Amino acid sequence: MFAFAFLLVPLAIVVGASFDDSASAYFRFPPERLSLRWYRELPVKYWHGLALSSAIALAAATASTLIGALAAVGIAKGSLRASPLLETFFRLPLQVPFVVTGVVFLQFYYLLFDVWRVPLVGSYAGFVLAHLFFCIPYAAGAVGSVITADLRHIEDAGRIAGATEWRVFQRLTLPALKPGLFSGFFYAFVVSFGDVPVSVFLSTGGTVPLPVEIFQTLQFDFDPAVLSISSIVIVLSALFIVFMQRIVGLDLILPGARR
Amino acid sequence: MIGRTRHVYDAALVGALIASALLFLVPQFFFIRQSLLPNVAPGVVGDTISLDNYREIVADPFYWSVFGRTIGLSAASVAMGLLLAFPTAYLLARMAAPIVRWLIVLLLISSFVSVVVKVLGLSLLLGTDGPVVRTLGALSFGFWNVRLLHNDVGVAIGLVQYTLPLMVMILFGVIQNVPPSLEDAAAVHGASDWRTFRRVLLPLLWPGTLAAALIAFNMNMGAFTSAVLLGGGRVLTVPIMIQRKIVLETDYPNAAALALLLTLTVVAVNLAALKARPAAIAGTRAG
Repeated sequence: MFAFAFLLVPLAIVVGASFDDSASAYFRFPPERLSLRWYRELPVKYWHGLALSSAIALAAATASTLIGALAAVGIAKGSLRASPLLETFFRLPLQVPFVVTGVVFLQFYYLLFDVWRVPLVGSYAGFVLAHLFFCIPYAAGAVGSVITADLRHIEDAGRIAGATEWRVFQRLTLPALKPGLFSGFFYAFVVSFGDVPVSVFLSTGGTVPLPVEIFQTLQFDFDPAVLSISSIVIVLSALFIVFMQRIVGLDLILPGARR
Repeated sequence: MIGRTRHVYDAALVGALIASALLFLVPQFFFIRQSLLPNVAPGVVGDTISLDNYREIVADPFYWSVFGRTIGLSAASVAMGLLLAFPTAYLLARMAAPIVRWLIVLLLISSFVSVVVKVLGLSLLLGTDGPVVRTLGALSFGFWNVRLLHNDVGVAIGLVQYTLPLMVMILFGVIQNVPPSLEDAAAVHGASDWRTFRRVLLPLLWPGTLAAALIAFNMNMGAFTSAVLLGGGRVLTVPIMIQRKIVLETDYPNAAALALLLTLTVVAVNLAALKARPAAIAGTRAG
Protein backbone atom coordinates (compact mmCIF):
# COMPACT_ATOMS: atom_id res chain seq x y z
CA MET A 1 0.00 0.00 0.00
CA PHE A 2 3.03 2.21 -0.50
CA ALA A 3 1.24 3.51 -3.58
CA PHE A 4 -1.47 5.09 -1.43
CA ALA A 5 1.07 6.77 0.83
CA PHE A 6 2.91 8.05 -2.24
CA LEU A 7 -0.31 9.52 -3.63
CA LEU A 8 -1.80 10.92 -0.45
CA VAL A 9 1.05 12.06 1.80
CA PRO A 10 1.93 15.01 -0.50
CA LEU A 11 -1.69 16.15 -0.31
CA ALA A 12 -1.71 15.87 3.48
CA ILE A 13 1.52 17.88 3.61
CA VAL A 14 0.00 20.69 1.55
CA VAL A 15 -2.91 20.92 3.98
CA GLY A 16 -0.55 20.77 6.95
CA ALA A 17 1.81 23.43 5.62
CA SER A 18 -1.08 25.79 4.85
CA PHE A 19 -1.56 26.34 8.59
CA ASP A 20 2.01 27.55 9.11
CA ASP A 21 1.93 31.21 10.06
CA SER A 22 5.65 31.66 9.44
CA ALA A 23 5.64 30.23 5.93
CA SER A 24 7.92 32.71 4.23
CA ALA A 25 9.08 32.81 0.66
CA TYR A 26 9.84 29.10 0.58
CA PHE A 27 8.16 25.85 1.52
CA ARG A 28 8.53 24.38 4.94
CA PHE A 29 7.11 21.32 6.59
CA PRO A 30 6.20 20.59 9.35
CA PRO A 31 4.71 23.98 10.28
CA GLU A 32 6.31 26.05 13.06
CA ARG A 33 3.50 28.28 14.25
CA LEU A 34 -0.10 27.36 13.55
CA SER A 35 -2.48 30.00 12.25
CA LEU A 36 -5.17 30.65 9.69
CA ARG A 37 -3.25 33.61 8.28
CA TRP A 38 -3.01 32.27 4.70
CA TYR A 39 -6.73 31.61 4.64
CA ARG A 40 -7.56 35.11 5.83
CA GLU A 41 -5.08 36.69 3.43
CA LEU A 42 -6.12 34.66 0.41
CA PRO A 43 -6.01 36.95 -2.67
CA VAL A 44 -9.27 37.15 -4.54
CA LYS A 45 -7.62 36.10 -7.82
CA TYR A 46 -7.54 32.52 -6.58
CA TRP A 47 -11.30 32.54 -5.99
CA HIS A 48 -11.78 33.95 -9.49
CA GLY A 49 -9.55 31.16 -10.83
CA LEU A 50 -11.53 28.52 -8.95
CA ALA A 51 -14.83 29.86 -10.32
CA LEU A 52 -13.44 30.05 -13.87
CA SER A 53 -11.97 26.53 -13.73
CA SER A 54 -15.23 25.10 -12.41
CA ALA A 55 -17.25 26.85 -15.11
CA ILE A 56 -14.88 25.67 -17.87
CA ALA A 57 -14.85 22.09 -16.59
CA LEU A 58 -18.64 22.01 -16.25
CA ALA A 59 -19.20 23.18 -19.83
CA ALA A 60 -16.40 21.06 -21.32
CA ALA A 61 -17.55 17.92 -19.49
CA THR A 62 -21.22 18.42 -20.40
CA ALA A 63 -20.57 19.12 -24.08
CA SER A 64 -17.96 16.37 -24.46
CA THR A 65 -20.22 13.80 -22.76
CA LEU A 66 -22.99 14.74 -25.19
CA ILE A 67 -20.73 14.54 -28.26
CA GLY A 68 -18.96 11.43 -26.97
CA ALA A 69 -22.26 9.68 -26.27
CA LEU A 70 -23.63 10.53 -29.73
CA ALA A 71 -20.40 9.22 -31.24
CA ALA A 72 -20.30 5.99 -29.23
CA VAL A 73 -23.99 5.20 -29.73
CA GLY A 74 -23.85 6.18 -33.39
CA ILE A 75 -20.83 3.98 -34.03
CA ALA A 76 -22.29 0.99 -32.20
CA LYS A 77 -25.84 1.18 -33.55
CA GLY A 78 -25.70 3.05 -36.85
CA SER A 79 -25.20 1.60 -40.33
CA LEU A 80 -21.43 1.46 -39.91
CA ARG A 81 -21.52 -1.10 -37.13
CA ALA A 82 -18.49 -0.71 -34.85
CA SER A 83 -16.23 0.73 -37.52
CA PRO A 84 -12.67 0.57 -36.12
CA LEU A 85 -11.68 3.55 -38.24
CA LEU A 86 -14.29 5.75 -36.56
CA GLU A 87 -13.30 4.50 -33.12
CA THR A 88 -9.71 5.40 -33.89
CA PHE A 89 -10.81 8.84 -35.06
CA PHE A 90 -12.51 9.63 -31.78
CA ARG A 91 -9.44 8.41 -29.87
CA LEU A 92 -7.07 10.53 -31.95
CA PRO A 93 -6.58 13.38 -29.43
CA LEU A 94 -5.23 10.92 -26.84
CA GLN A 95 -2.15 10.63 -29.04
CA VAL A 96 -1.54 14.37 -29.03
CA PRO A 97 0.53 15.59 -26.07
CA PHE A 98 -1.26 18.26 -24.01
CA VAL A 99 1.35 20.92 -24.63
CA VAL A 100 0.89 20.40 -28.37
CA THR A 101 -2.86 20.87 -27.99
CA GLY A 102 -2.22 24.15 -26.20
CA VAL A 103 0.08 25.39 -28.96
CA VAL A 104 -2.29 24.22 -31.71
CA PHE A 105 -5.26 26.08 -30.28
CA LEU A 106 -3.24 29.20 -29.46
CA GLN A 107 -2.11 29.47 -33.07
CA PHE A 108 -5.59 28.66 -34.36
CA TYR A 109 -7.12 31.38 -32.20
CA TYR A 110 -4.53 33.90 -33.38
CA LEU A 111 -5.50 33.00 -36.94
CA LEU A 112 -9.23 33.35 -36.24
CA PHE A 113 -8.53 36.74 -34.75
CA ASP A 114 -6.48 37.87 -37.74
CA VAL A 115 -9.12 36.78 -40.23
CA TRP A 116 -12.44 37.35 -38.50
CA ARG A 117 -11.53 39.37 -35.40
CA VAL A 118 -12.86 36.63 -33.12
CA PRO A 119 -11.04 37.05 -29.80
CA LEU A 120 -10.76 33.55 -28.33
CA VAL A 121 -7.43 33.74 -26.49
CA GLY A 122 -8.20 34.30 -22.83
CA SER A 123 -11.95 33.91 -23.36
CA TYR A 124 -14.28 31.43 -21.71
CA ALA A 125 -15.34 29.94 -25.06
CA GLY A 126 -11.68 29.62 -26.05
CA PHE A 127 -10.87 27.52 -23.00
CA VAL A 128 -13.95 25.33 -23.40
CA LEU A 129 -13.32 24.60 -27.10
CA ALA A 130 -9.68 23.64 -26.49
CA HIS A 131 -10.69 21.47 -23.53
CA LEU A 132 -13.31 19.70 -25.65
CA PHE A 133 -10.45 18.48 -27.84
CA PHE A 134 -9.03 16.28 -25.08
CA CYS A 135 -12.32 15.62 -23.23
CA ILE A 136 -14.24 14.03 -26.12
CA PRO A 137 -12.05 10.87 -26.29
CA TYR A 138 -12.59 10.19 -22.58
CA ALA A 139 -16.35 10.58 -22.90
CA ALA A 140 -16.60 8.55 -26.12
CA GLY A 141 -14.43 5.80 -24.62
CA ALA A 142 -16.41 5.65 -21.37
CA VAL A 143 -19.79 5.46 -23.14
CA GLY A 144 -18.44 3.01 -25.75
CA SER A 145 -17.23 0.66 -23.03
CA VAL A 146 -20.78 0.10 -21.68
CA ILE A 147 -22.32 -0.73 -25.08
CA THR A 148 -21.82 -4.49 -25.05
CA ALA A 149 -23.21 -7.50 -26.91
CA ASP A 150 -25.36 -8.17 -23.83
CA LEU A 151 -27.05 -4.81 -24.27
CA ARG A 152 -27.97 -5.72 -27.86
CA HIS A 153 -29.52 -8.98 -26.70
CA ILE A 154 -31.50 -7.17 -24.03
CA GLU A 155 -32.76 -4.65 -26.58
CA ASP A 156 -33.75 -7.47 -28.95
CA ALA A 157 -35.63 -9.10 -26.10
CA GLY A 158 -37.48 -5.83 -25.55
CA ARG A 159 -38.43 -5.64 -29.24
CA ILE A 160 -39.64 -9.24 -29.28
CA ALA A 161 -41.79 -8.39 -26.28
CA GLY A 162 -43.40 -5.71 -28.44
CA ALA A 163 -41.79 -2.52 -27.17
CA THR A 164 -41.55 0.39 -29.59
CA GLU A 165 -38.08 1.58 -30.61
CA TRP A 166 -38.41 4.70 -28.47
CA ARG A 167 -39.43 2.64 -25.48
CA VAL A 168 -36.51 0.25 -26.02
CA PHE A 169 -34.16 3.23 -26.03
CA GLN A 170 -35.77 4.90 -23.06
CA ARG A 171 -36.22 1.84 -20.83
CA LEU A 172 -33.32 -0.42 -21.85
CA THR A 173 -30.58 1.47 -23.72
CA LEU A 174 -30.46 4.64 -21.66
CA PRO A 175 -30.22 2.95 -18.22
CA ALA A 176 -27.40 0.77 -19.57
CA LEU A 177 -25.58 3.87 -20.84
CA LYS A 178 -25.87 5.67 -17.50
CA PRO A 179 -22.61 4.40 -15.93
CA GLY A 180 -20.74 5.31 -19.12
CA LEU A 181 -22.27 8.77 -19.19
CA PHE A 182 -21.40 9.35 -15.54
CA SER A 183 -17.83 8.14 -15.76
CA GLY A 184 -17.30 9.98 -19.07
CA PHE A 185 -18.53 13.20 -17.49
CA PHE A 186 -16.46 12.58 -14.38
CA TYR A 187 -13.17 11.98 -16.21
CA ALA A 188 -13.73 14.84 -18.62
CA PHE A 189 -14.44 17.12 -15.67
CA VAL A 190 -11.33 15.95 -13.79
CA VAL A 191 -8.99 16.40 -16.75
CA SER A 192 -10.44 19.77 -17.67
CA PHE A 193 -10.52 21.10 -14.10
CA GLY A 194 -6.88 20.28 -13.43
CA ASP A 195 -5.47 21.27 -16.79
CA VAL A 196 -2.32 23.39 -16.94
CA PRO A 197 -0.49 22.53 -20.19
CA VAL A 198 -3.32 23.58 -22.53
CA SER A 199 -4.74 26.49 -20.55
CA VAL A 200 -1.35 28.04 -19.80
CA PHE A 201 -1.08 29.05 -23.47
CA LEU A 202 -4.61 30.44 -23.63
CA SER A 203 -4.56 32.50 -20.43
CA THR A 204 -4.32 36.26 -20.48
CA GLY A 205 -3.92 38.74 -17.64
CA GLY A 206 -7.50 38.80 -16.42
CA THR A 207 -8.66 35.25 -17.16
CA VAL A 208 -6.49 32.63 -15.51
CA PRO A 209 -7.92 29.24 -14.47
CA LEU A 210 -6.93 28.16 -10.96
CA PRO A 211 -4.34 25.47 -11.86
CA VAL A 212 -2.55 27.93 -14.17
CA GLU A 213 -2.66 30.58 -11.43
CA ILE A 214 -1.06 28.14 -8.98
CA PHE A 215 1.44 26.99 -11.60
CA GLN A 216 2.58 30.51 -12.35
CA THR A 217 2.89 31.33 -8.67
CA LEU A 218 5.03 28.25 -8.08
CA GLN A 219 7.17 28.97 -11.10
CA PHE A 220 7.81 32.65 -10.66
CA ASP A 221 6.96 34.26 -7.33
CA PHE A 222 6.06 31.99 -4.47
CA ASP A 223 3.17 33.07 -2.32
CA PRO A 224 2.15 30.93 0.70
CA ALA A 225 -1.49 31.57 -0.25
CA VAL A 226 -1.15 28.81 -2.89
CA LEU A 227 -0.95 26.40 0.04
CA SER A 228 -4.32 27.48 1.41
CA ILE A 229 -6.13 27.60 -1.95
CA SER A 230 -4.63 24.18 -2.80
CA SER A 231 -5.87 22.83 0.53
CA ILE A 232 -9.32 24.17 -0.27
CA VAL A 233 -9.21 22.38 -3.63
CA ILE A 234 -8.11 19.14 -1.95
CA VAL A 235 -10.88 19.29 0.64
CA LEU A 236 -13.53 20.23 -1.96
CA SER A 237 -12.37 17.34 -4.18
CA ALA A 238 -12.51 14.89 -1.29
CA LEU A 239 -16.00 16.08 -0.29
CA PHE A 240 -17.18 15.85 -3.89
CA ILE A 241 -15.93 12.27 -4.34
CA VAL A 242 -17.36 11.10 -1.02
CA PHE A 243 -20.65 12.80 -1.91
CA MET A 244 -20.71 11.10 -5.32
CA GLN A 245 -19.89 7.80 -3.70
CA ARG A 246 -22.78 8.20 -1.27
CA ILE A 247 -25.33 9.51 -3.77
CA VAL A 248 -24.70 7.71 -7.04
CA GLY A 249 -22.31 4.94 -5.97
CA LEU A 250 -18.86 4.03 -7.20
CA ASP A 251 -20.23 1.85 -9.99
CA LEU A 252 -21.29 4.93 -11.87
CA ILE A 253 -17.95 6.70 -11.58
CA LEU A 254 -15.75 3.67 -12.07
CA PRO A 255 -17.51 1.02 -14.16
CA GLY A 256 -14.75 -1.43 -13.26
CA ALA A 257 -15.58 -1.30 -9.56
CA ARG A 258 -18.62 -3.59 -9.47
CA ARG A 259 -18.79 -4.36 -5.82
CA MET B 1 -36.81 -2.65 -36.90
CA ILE B 2 -35.42 -0.55 -37.59
CA GLY B 3 -34.50 1.10 -40.76
CA ARG B 4 -35.73 4.35 -39.33
CA THR B 5 -34.11 3.92 -35.94
CA ARG B 6 -30.80 3.24 -37.61
CA HIS B 7 -31.10 6.57 -39.42
CA VAL B 8 -31.55 8.29 -36.08
CA TYR B 9 -28.32 6.71 -34.82
CA ASP B 10 -26.57 7.61 -38.07
CA ALA B 11 -27.65 11.21 -37.62
CA ALA B 12 -26.22 11.15 -34.08
CA LEU B 13 -22.92 9.87 -35.43
CA VAL B 14 -22.80 12.48 -38.19
CA GLY B 15 -23.46 15.24 -35.66
CA ALA B 16 -20.67 14.02 -33.40
CA LEU B 17 -18.36 13.59 -36.39
CA ILE B 18 -18.89 17.13 -37.67
CA ALA B 19 -18.32 18.67 -34.24
CA SER B 20 -15.23 16.55 -33.62
CA ALA B 21 -13.77 17.00 -37.09
CA LEU B 22 -14.02 20.77 -36.71
CA LEU B 23 -12.17 20.50 -33.39
CA PHE B 24 -9.72 17.72 -34.26
CA LEU B 25 -8.73 18.52 -37.82
CA VAL B 26 -9.16 22.21 -38.63
CA PRO B 27 -6.80 23.64 -35.96
CA GLN B 28 -4.30 20.84 -36.62
CA PHE B 29 -4.29 21.66 -40.33
CA PHE B 30 -3.24 25.26 -39.77
CA PHE B 31 -0.78 24.12 -37.17
CA ILE B 32 0.97 21.69 -39.51
CA ARG B 33 0.98 24.33 -42.21
CA GLN B 34 2.61 26.76 -39.79
CA SER B 35 5.42 24.27 -39.13
CA LEU B 36 6.34 24.47 -42.84
CA LEU B 37 6.71 28.26 -42.86
CA PRO B 38 9.85 30.24 -42.01
CA ASN B 39 10.18 32.40 -38.91
CA VAL B 40 11.29 35.69 -40.41
CA ALA B 41 11.61 37.63 -37.17
CA PRO B 42 10.39 36.87 -33.62
CA GLY B 43 6.63 36.45 -33.94
CA VAL B 44 6.64 37.15 -37.70
CA VAL B 45 5.96 34.22 -39.99
CA GLY B 46 6.89 34.18 -43.68
CA ASP B 47 4.95 32.47 -46.43
CA THR B 48 7.30 30.16 -48.32
CA ILE B 49 6.54 26.49 -47.73
CA SER B 50 9.56 24.32 -46.96
CA LEU B 51 10.80 21.59 -44.66
CA ASP B 52 13.53 23.87 -43.27
CA ASN B 53 12.24 23.82 -39.67
CA TYR B 54 12.34 20.04 -39.64
CA ARG B 55 15.74 19.92 -41.32
CA GLU B 56 17.12 22.28 -38.70
CA ILE B 57 15.79 20.13 -35.85
CA VAL B 58 16.88 16.78 -37.29
CA ALA B 59 20.39 18.09 -38.04
CA ASP B 60 20.97 19.38 -34.51
CA PRO B 61 22.25 16.82 -31.95
CA PHE B 62 20.94 19.04 -29.15
CA TYR B 63 17.33 18.29 -30.14
CA TRP B 64 18.15 14.59 -30.38
CA SER B 65 19.42 14.62 -26.81
CA VAL B 66 16.26 16.40 -25.58
CA PHE B 67 14.04 13.87 -27.35
CA GLY B 68 16.17 11.02 -25.97
CA ARG B 69 15.91 12.38 -22.45
CA THR B 70 12.13 12.80 -22.75
CA ILE B 71 11.67 9.24 -24.01
CA GLY B 72 14.04 7.85 -21.37
CA LEU B 73 12.32 9.68 -18.50
CA SER B 74 8.88 8.66 -19.77
CA ALA B 75 9.81 4.99 -20.19
CA ALA B 76 11.61 4.79 -16.82
CA SER B 77 8.61 6.36 -15.09
CA VAL B 78 6.25 3.90 -16.78
CA ALA B 79 8.41 1.01 -15.52
CA MET B 80 8.44 2.37 -11.96
CA GLY B 81 4.74 3.11 -12.17
CA LEU B 82 3.95 -0.46 -13.24
CA LEU B 83 6.02 -1.85 -10.36
CA LEU B 84 3.93 0.23 -7.95
CA ALA B 85 0.56 -0.04 -9.68
CA PHE B 86 0.50 -3.76 -10.36
CA PRO B 87 0.69 -5.06 -6.75
CA THR B 88 -1.68 -2.32 -5.60
CA ALA B 89 -4.26 -3.13 -8.28
CA TYR B 90 -3.88 -6.85 -7.60
CA LEU B 91 -4.54 -6.42 -3.87
CA LEU B 92 -7.52 -4.16 -4.57
CA ALA B 93 -9.02 -6.63 -7.04
CA ARG B 94 -8.54 -9.64 -4.77
CA MET B 95 -9.51 -8.13 -1.42
CA ALA B 96 -13.11 -8.87 -0.52
CA ALA B 97 -13.31 -6.42 2.35
CA PRO B 98 -15.46 -3.28 2.21
CA ILE B 99 -12.26 -1.33 2.76
CA VAL B 100 -11.66 -1.66 -0.99
CA ARG B 101 -14.49 0.79 -1.57
CA TRP B 102 -12.74 3.37 0.58
CA LEU B 103 -9.35 2.73 -0.98
CA ILE B 104 -10.93 3.38 -4.37
CA VAL B 105 -12.46 6.56 -3.01
CA LEU B 106 -8.96 7.64 -1.92
CA LEU B 107 -7.63 6.79 -5.37
CA LEU B 108 -10.36 8.86 -7.00
CA ILE B 109 -9.66 11.80 -4.69
CA SER B 110 -6.01 11.66 -5.62
CA SER B 111 -6.82 11.58 -9.33
CA PHE B 112 -9.34 14.40 -8.94
CA VAL B 113 -6.84 16.85 -7.45
CA SER B 114 -4.98 18.94 -10.06
CA VAL B 115 -1.48 17.84 -10.97
CA VAL B 116 -0.18 21.23 -9.94
CA VAL B 117 -1.45 20.74 -6.37
CA LYS B 118 0.14 17.29 -6.17
CA VAL B 119 3.40 18.73 -7.46
CA LEU B 120 3.27 21.39 -4.75
CA GLY B 121 2.94 18.59 -2.18
CA LEU B 122 5.79 16.62 -3.72
CA SER B 123 8.12 19.60 -3.66
CA LEU B 124 7.34 20.15 0.04
CA LEU B 125 7.96 16.45 0.67
CA LEU B 126 11.14 16.10 -1.37
CA GLY B 127 12.76 19.53 -0.94
CA THR B 128 16.13 19.96 0.79
CA ASP B 129 14.28 21.10 3.93
CA GLY B 130 11.63 18.42 3.51
CA PRO B 131 11.04 15.39 5.71
CA VAL B 132 12.37 12.77 3.25
CA VAL B 133 15.76 14.34 2.66
CA ARG B 134 16.18 15.19 6.36
CA THR B 135 15.24 11.66 7.43
CA LEU B 136 17.66 10.10 4.97
CA GLY B 137 20.36 12.49 6.18
CA ALA B 138 19.68 11.73 9.85
CA LEU B 139 19.59 7.96 9.31
CA SER B 140 22.97 8.06 7.58
CA PHE B 141 24.49 10.53 10.13
CA GLY B 142 24.63 13.22 7.47
CA PHE B 143 26.51 11.15 4.91
CA TRP B 144 23.62 10.71 2.54
CA ASN B 145 22.75 14.09 1.07
CA VAL B 146 20.46 13.23 -1.78
CA ARG B 147 18.86 15.79 -4.01
CA LEU B 148 15.35 14.76 -5.02
CA LEU B 149 14.29 17.99 -6.68
CA HIS B 150 15.40 20.02 -9.69
CA ASN B 151 16.89 16.98 -11.42
CA ASP B 152 15.84 13.90 -13.41
CA VAL B 153 14.97 11.99 -10.22
CA GLY B 154 12.49 14.66 -9.15
CA VAL B 155 10.87 14.76 -12.59
CA ALA B 156 10.61 10.94 -12.70
CA ILE B 157 9.00 10.83 -9.24
CA GLY B 158 6.54 13.47 -10.41
CA LEU B 159 5.69 11.51 -13.56
CA VAL B 160 5.07 8.32 -11.57
CA GLN B 161 2.75 10.18 -9.25
CA TYR B 162 0.98 11.78 -12.21
CA THR B 163 0.16 8.47 -13.92
CA LEU B 164 -0.19 6.14 -10.92
CA PRO B 165 -3.93 6.58 -10.14
CA LEU B 166 -4.95 5.95 -13.75
CA MET B 167 -2.61 2.94 -14.04
CA VAL B 168 -4.00 1.40 -10.84
CA MET B 169 -7.58 1.94 -12.02
CA ILE B 170 -6.97 0.39 -15.45
CA LEU B 171 -5.09 -2.59 -14.00
CA PHE B 172 -7.74 -3.00 -11.31
CA GLY B 173 -10.40 -3.39 -14.01
CA VAL B 174 -8.21 -5.79 -15.97
CA ILE B 175 -7.32 -8.00 -12.98
CA GLN B 176 -10.95 -8.09 -11.82
CA ASN B 177 -11.86 -9.79 -15.09
CA VAL B 178 -9.56 -12.72 -14.30
CA PRO B 179 -11.38 -15.09 -11.93
CA PRO B 180 -9.37 -15.98 -8.81
CA SER B 181 -10.37 -19.62 -9.39
CA LEU B 182 -7.81 -19.75 -12.21
CA GLU B 183 -5.05 -19.01 -9.71
CA ASP B 184 -6.49 -21.58 -7.30
CA ALA B 185 -6.54 -24.15 -10.09
CA ALA B 186 -2.89 -23.46 -10.86
CA ALA B 187 -2.01 -23.74 -7.18
CA VAL B 188 -3.89 -27.03 -6.85
CA HIS B 189 -1.80 -28.38 -9.70
CA GLY B 190 1.32 -27.51 -7.77
CA ALA B 191 2.38 -24.28 -9.45
CA SER B 192 4.39 -21.90 -7.30
CA ASP B 193 3.15 -18.33 -6.88
CA TRP B 194 5.77 -17.10 -9.30
CA ARG B 195 4.87 -19.76 -11.85
CA THR B 196 1.16 -18.95 -11.49
CA PHE B 197 1.93 -15.30 -12.07
CA ARG B 198 4.14 -15.96 -15.08
CA ARG B 199 2.14 -18.71 -16.80
CA VAL B 200 -1.45 -17.93 -15.84
CA LEU B 201 -1.84 -14.27 -14.86
CA LEU B 202 0.69 -12.59 -17.11
CA PRO B 203 -0.62 -14.01 -20.42
CA LEU B 204 -4.14 -12.90 -19.47
CA LEU B 205 -3.16 -9.51 -18.10
CA TRP B 206 -0.55 -8.63 -20.70
CA PRO B 207 -2.86 -6.78 -23.13
CA GLY B 208 -4.43 -4.64 -20.39
CA THR B 209 -1.04 -3.99 -18.83
CA LEU B 210 0.37 -2.87 -22.17
CA ALA B 211 -2.63 -0.58 -22.63
CA ALA B 212 -2.05 0.96 -19.19
CA ALA B 213 1.67 1.34 -19.90
CA LEU B 214 1.03 3.07 -23.24
CA ILE B 215 -1.53 5.47 -21.79
CA ALA B 216 0.95 6.36 -19.03
CA PHE B 217 3.76 6.71 -21.58
CA ASN B 218 1.69 9.10 -23.69
CA MET B 219 0.85 11.15 -20.60
CA ASN B 220 4.52 11.28 -19.60
CA MET B 221 5.69 12.34 -23.06
CA GLY B 222 3.39 15.34 -22.89
CA ALA B 223 3.89 16.02 -19.18
CA PHE B 224 4.48 19.67 -18.64
CA THR B 225 3.44 20.86 -15.20
CA SER B 226 5.45 18.36 -13.16
CA ALA B 227 8.46 18.52 -15.49
CA VAL B 228 8.66 22.31 -15.25
CA LEU B 229 8.15 22.56 -11.51
CA LEU B 230 10.06 19.50 -10.27
CA GLY B 231 12.82 19.92 -12.85
CA GLY B 232 13.17 23.50 -11.65
CA GLY B 233 14.46 24.71 -15.02
CA ARG B 234 17.35 22.23 -14.97
CA VAL B 235 15.62 19.37 -16.78
CA LEU B 236 14.78 20.08 -20.40
CA THR B 237 12.13 17.88 -21.99
CA VAL B 238 10.39 18.37 -25.34
CA PRO B 239 7.17 19.88 -23.88
CA ILE B 240 9.22 22.41 -21.89
CA MET B 241 11.30 23.22 -24.96
CA ILE B 242 8.12 23.85 -26.98
CA GLN B 243 6.81 26.24 -24.35
CA ARG B 244 10.12 28.12 -24.27
CA LYS B 245 10.12 28.46 -28.06
CA ILE B 246 6.74 30.14 -27.80
CA VAL B 247 7.05 32.21 -24.66
CA LEU B 248 10.72 33.22 -24.79
CA GLU B 249 11.62 33.13 -28.47
CA THR B 250 8.15 33.63 -30.05
CA ASP B 251 9.30 31.20 -32.74
CA TYR B 252 5.94 29.65 -33.63
CA PRO B 253 6.98 27.67 -36.73
CA ASN B 254 9.86 25.98 -34.90
CA ALA B 255 7.60 25.19 -31.92
CA ALA B 256 5.01 23.74 -34.30
CA ALA B 257 7.63 21.53 -35.98
CA LEU B 258 8.86 20.31 -32.57
CA ALA B 259 5.29 19.65 -31.44
CA LEU B 260 4.52 17.65 -34.57
CA LEU B 261 7.72 15.62 -34.16
CA LEU B 262 6.76 14.94 -30.52
CA THR B 263 3.31 13.73 -31.60
CA LEU B 264 4.84 11.55 -34.32
CA THR B 265 7.29 10.05 -31.80
CA VAL B 266 4.41 9.18 -29.47
CA VAL B 267 2.37 7.66 -32.31
CA ALA B 268 5.39 5.67 -33.54
CA VAL B 269 6.07 4.21 -30.09
CA ASN B 270 2.38 3.27 -29.72
CA LEU B 271 2.23 1.62 -33.13
CA ALA B 272 5.45 -0.29 -32.49
CA ALA B 273 4.19 -1.51 -29.11
CA LEU B 274 0.79 -2.53 -30.49
CA LYS B 275 2.36 -4.27 -33.47
CA ALA B 276 4.43 -6.30 -31.06
CA ARG B 277 1.20 -7.46 -29.44
CA PRO B 278 -1.88 -7.05 -31.68
CA ALA B 279 -4.18 -8.59 -29.06
CA ALA B 280 -3.61 -5.54 -26.88
CA ILE B 281 -5.45 -3.21 -29.25
CA ALA B 282 -8.78 -4.09 -27.70
CA GLY B 283 -7.44 -3.13 -24.29
CA THR B 284 -6.59 0.46 -25.23
CA ARG B 285 -10.29 1.24 -25.42
CA ALA B 286 -10.23 1.56 -21.66
CA GLY B 287 -8.46 4.92 -22.10
